[in-house]
Amino acid sequence: MAINPNETVLKVEDLRISFKAYGGMVQAVRGVSFDLKRGETVAIVGESGSGKSVSIKAIMGILAPNAVIESGRIEYDGMDLTKVSEEDFHKIRGNRIGLIFQDPLSALNPIMKIGKQITEVLHLSKKISSEEAKHRALELMHAVGIPEAERRFNQYPFQFSGGMRQRIVIAIALAGDPEILICDEPTTALDVTVQAKILELINKIKEERHLSVIFITHDLGVVANMADRVNVMYAGKIVESGTSEEIFFEPAHPYTWALLSSMPDLQTKERLLAIPGTPPNMIYPPAGDAFAARNKYAMKIDFEKEPPSFKLSDTHYASTWLLHPKAPKVDLPDVLRARIERMKGAK
Amino acid sequence: MVKYILKRIGAMLLTLFLIMTLSFWIIRLMPMSIFENPATPPDIQKLLMAEMHLDKPLFVQYLYFIKGVVTEAEFGTSVQIRPGMDVFEILASRIPPTVLLNIMSLLISIPLGIVFGTIAALKRNKATDNIISFLIVICISVPSFVFASVLQYVFTFKIPIFPTLYDTQAATFAGTMHSLLLPIIALALGPMATIARYLRGELIETLSSEYLLLARTKGLTRTQATVRHAFRNSLVPIANTIIPLITGIMGGSLVIEKMFAVPGMGGLLIDSIMAGDHFLTVSLLIFYSTISLITILIVDISYGIIDPRIRVGGGK
Repeated sequence: MAINPNETVLKVEDLRISFKAYGGMVQAVRGVSFDLKRGETVAIVGESGSGKSVSIKAIMGILAPNAVIESGRIEYDGMDLTKVSEEDFHKIRGNRIGLIFQDPLSALNPIMKIGKQITEVLHLSKKISSEEAKHRALELMHAVGIPEAERRFNQYPFQFSGGMRQRIVIAIALAGDPEILICDEPTTALDVTVQAKILELINKIKEERHLSVIFITHDLGVVANMADRVNVMYAGKIVESGTSEEIFFEPAHPYTWALLSSMPDLQTKERLLAIPGTPPNMIYPPAGDAFAARNKYAMKIDFEKEPPSFKLSDTHYASTWLLHPKAPKVDLPDVLRARIERMKGAK
Repeated sequence: MVKYILKRIGAMLLTLFLIMTLSFWIIRLMPMSIFENPATPPDIQKLLMAEMHLDKPLFVQYLYFIKGVVTEAEFGTSVQIRPGMDVFEILASRIPPTVLLNIMSLLISIPLGIVFGTIAALKRNKATDNIISFLIVICISVPSFVFASVLQYVFTFKIPIFPTLYDTQAATFAGTMHSLLLPIIALALGPMATIARYLRGELIETLSSEYLLLARTKGLTRTQATVRHAFRNSLVPIANTIIPLITGIMGGSLVIEKMFAVPGMGGLLIDSIMAGDHFLTVSLLIFYSTISLITILIVDISYGIIDPRIRVGGGK
């Protein structure tokens, strides 16, 4: 397959999603735009409730029944996925876009044999005999690193460890031979040692199968290993986007600073910095910058008017008033600056 | 799996033995002479009592009873209801109508309960679900003999399309069923509603599970995902409700049989207790217990078939 590195496979434009709840409409996603180019990994980073998973579910067409897509487009292969009917969507899911779940312990059907859960996908995508399906499923199981695949084929999920189950979930996602792989916090539920292996595996299959990957996580350490480009999400918006280098070495948004400072590294000796407060109530999203209330650099305008997106380079954008020409000059927090120096030195 | 079944059967036999012992002692300790018929001359009474070991201490009688049951499946002789007749024979003649009534009620209630429960779950919080859920609550809370009276009133008196009582003379199976239909319906409504209610809850939970979401991201349609991944998983807890259902149907059947004059076990049990026909009462109790135990055994085994976690995990 010829890879044109600048070809955009998926483009999300000004996506707004709300949930009907008792107290009103919860505005989970408020105008998210990003794109995915062929063969790259794009990360979406943010804390719980920032709207990462909801955006992904919209791409997969598996939003909860009380979710409403209020506006926006998801362009894929000449289609707008927000308008595709349920009847047509199941031809895209699995076949064209695959999803790896957050919690492999609950993502597999507990009373169906592992083998059948994989071959089921194969039978869906094309007409093949059951022997051939089994053969292909065993190949997939080898590819994701399951030892003794032949014996494992007839076992049930409860006979697998967490890491092994995640490998099976990956095999299921790959079985439909998709071109886009979405990973929704694939390592959150796993041990740290297993995490590294699963990340390695995702990188490996991405190379082998020329996949384009959207990687959702709240763990910036994971992002550094995986992503070409990073979108930082807060309260339903992308507040900063850029290449991995730009986000890690030249972060511009105070929220990105806070996220980076709250991440320990091997040299961390001080108390770890936590971000004060909690994310805002999204039934009544605050006027202005949603992060202002938790931001020690917030200015008066942050509480009144939403910051526009400021362009820092062709790839690097951030939405914060601090970048406005009239804003006072604010330096990076000391902890962060010291850390960036170290990281640059290590590179 | 075989080991599991054998273990269950062993436990079942032990339980049965305990039930036999308990019912023998409780019934025989009741303040009622087992052999009181003024028409029988006293010396003949004495002879009969000696033959049935009734002149010996109760504990010795218990040993004779156990010996009879274990060695020759001999439960004793009726002394009041059908004097001189083997208890087993009386049971044999009364079992068919009761079993027919109970089994038919189950066979009707389980599939219908599953159908209604599934519809309610799939149409959750819509009008269809609300109507079904409302009817479910009525069917669960109203006891079967009330339904029986209403059905009897409506379909044999107001619109006389069914006979009021069970037709013992019916020549064909269809004829028997015709007269048995009302009691069957009266008995089936409650269990049907119970199954529907449980299945609705289970299915709603499975439908919102992660693995169903995964099934849909595989590219399965909603229907395919529901049938292949949600349905069987919802049946595991349902199997559990079958046990109380069957005992419930048997209990309800005691009353219903009286109301429709079905010559079954229910009426016999009440008669034999009233008449102090102790051998008959004990064997009836054992019969009912055996049915319950067999039900539990079947349900336990079917767990293993439905849920591999029990089959594989428990066996090794």
